[in-house]
Amino acid sequence: MTVLNSTLSLALIVSSLTVDAVPAAARQEPRVNATGAAVQAFQKKVAEYVKLHHEAESKTPALSETSDPRKLASREEALGAAIRQLRADAKPGDIFVAEFLPVLVEAVRNDFSTRTAVDRKAMVQDFPRSTTLSINMVYPASLPLATFPAKLLRALPDLPPELEYRIVGRHLILRDAKANLVVDFVRDVVPTIPS
Amino acid sequence: MGAIMKFNRRRIREALLVALVVTGVAPAWRSDAGSVGAATADGAGETRPPAAPDSLRFAVIGDSGSGSRAQYEVGRQLFGSLSVFPYEFVLMLGDNIYGPERPQDFVQKFERPYQPILDRKVAFYAALGNHDDPNQRFYQPFNMNGKRFYTFEKHNVRFFALDSNYMDKDQQAWLERELEAARSKWTIAFFHHPIYSSGARHGSEVDLRAIVEPLFIEHGVDVVFAGHEHFYERLKPQKGVHYFTSGSAGKLRAGNIRRGPLTAKGFDADYSYLLVEVDGDNLHFQALSRQGKLVDSGTIQASQAATAPAGEGRTR
Repeated sequence: MTVLNSTLSLALIVSSLTVDAVPAAARQEPRVNATGAAVQAFQKKVAEYVKLHHEAESKTPALSETSDPRKLASREEALGAAIRQLRADAKPGDIFVAEFLPVLVEAVRNDFSTRTAVDRKAMVQDFPRSTTLSINMVYPASLPLATFPAKLLRALPDLPPELEYRIVGRHLILRDAKANLVVDFVRDVVPTIPS
Repeated sequence: MGAIMKFNRRRIREALLVALVVTGVAPAWRSDAGSVGAATADGAGETRPPAAPDSLRFAVIGDSGSGSRAQYEVGRQLFGSLSVFPYEFVLMLGDNIYGPERPQDFVQKFERPYQPILDRKVAFYAALGNHDDPNQRFYQPFNMNGKRFYTFEKHNVRFFALDSNYMDKDQQAWLERELEAARSKWTIAFFHHPIYSSGARHGSEVDLRAIVEPLFIEHGVDVVFAGHEHFYERLKPQKGVHYFTSGSAGKLRAGNIRRGPLTAKGFDADYSYLLVEVDGDNLHFQALSRQGKLVDSGTIQASQAATAPAGEGRTR
């Protein structure tokens, strides 16, 4: 009898624990890596853009080797025009999606915080001056394509060869490397440098 | 009046030297850089002839594509050097076309200044600078084969053209792979941004250095040519690698070198270019101004590892 009672008591305890455990588990939110999800959302948009880029490429003469600079210019322009047509309604944030922005801003700020004042100043001096940006604009010929800080490049998600990060003034842009178009941008990402 | 007399005496001395060289009485050049050289009638200035008949010879120009009068003058001098120092090709260190890149810009900032050289079938191999549209890689006369970064071999030298504007993981992995596979006697890299520089305007590109320097050391890169700074500088060898900055073939930032511990030789008083000869274990270089004045010269020996002071020898 004593043995039976003990067994029943144990069964009740186990059963109550199990009953308690289920609602607790049910209440828990699934664990999400917020940074990973944000990067994934950005990469999804990048992949969509690359698909569109390839579609535009299929409709225009291929950019291939030529000794005629007129062909270079006309092919680049044709590709740019085709892309503009395919994403005529594009707006800022279409690729640099909202959930990715904090990740991007933090990466840039972290990079700058690890640099000396001299290094920061030298970098900022090398960035081309700010200009009015708009989606699908041709990257201005008057602005150099300043070197993108190699260390920062490693902290950002990789891009396919069709796209590259660039900095203009304090803004970070996403540039179509073949069509020479600004496809998205984020303003004021680069920290201000005290004069 | 005194200055005119001094100028005239110099001109007379140079004319006399030309006459002596032409008649074979005087040697074609003297061994110390900056001396009066063979001011030949064909516009070669103080260009020295090659040391060996079957050596590899090339020229180096950086930041050339301004379309300015100075670029054309450098182009003429570079062509003048060709008669004394027949080079096979020209390395372009970036900023090949400044400003707009309309079809006429390729003509005004590249084809026309170097037309006599192009007519002699001298090839140009370009690296991209921060003022260059990466689509220049499709411009056939730049011999980039549609690639932002590429490699080629001539004689016993393996060349690596890098895109220092955008050193992404793809390029880094490619560089490591290709350097690993290189079996040539000499390895030379060329790109736009100098990883060591005494320039007041830009200075050393430390981000880039952190990535490429370990690869250069590990895989025995001998010599690196860069531009970006608008002057000529030969740096003291850094961890066994010899660095040159030659970014004044079309732009000049006069007086911009902050001579310090890095500088072996600097020239920021005029536009300039480099001539290089690889002859077996020796690499001879000469830097010339747009006036044809020899501003620097020397020889890098492939066997330095055994004799050079610690930290300055070759690693291969």
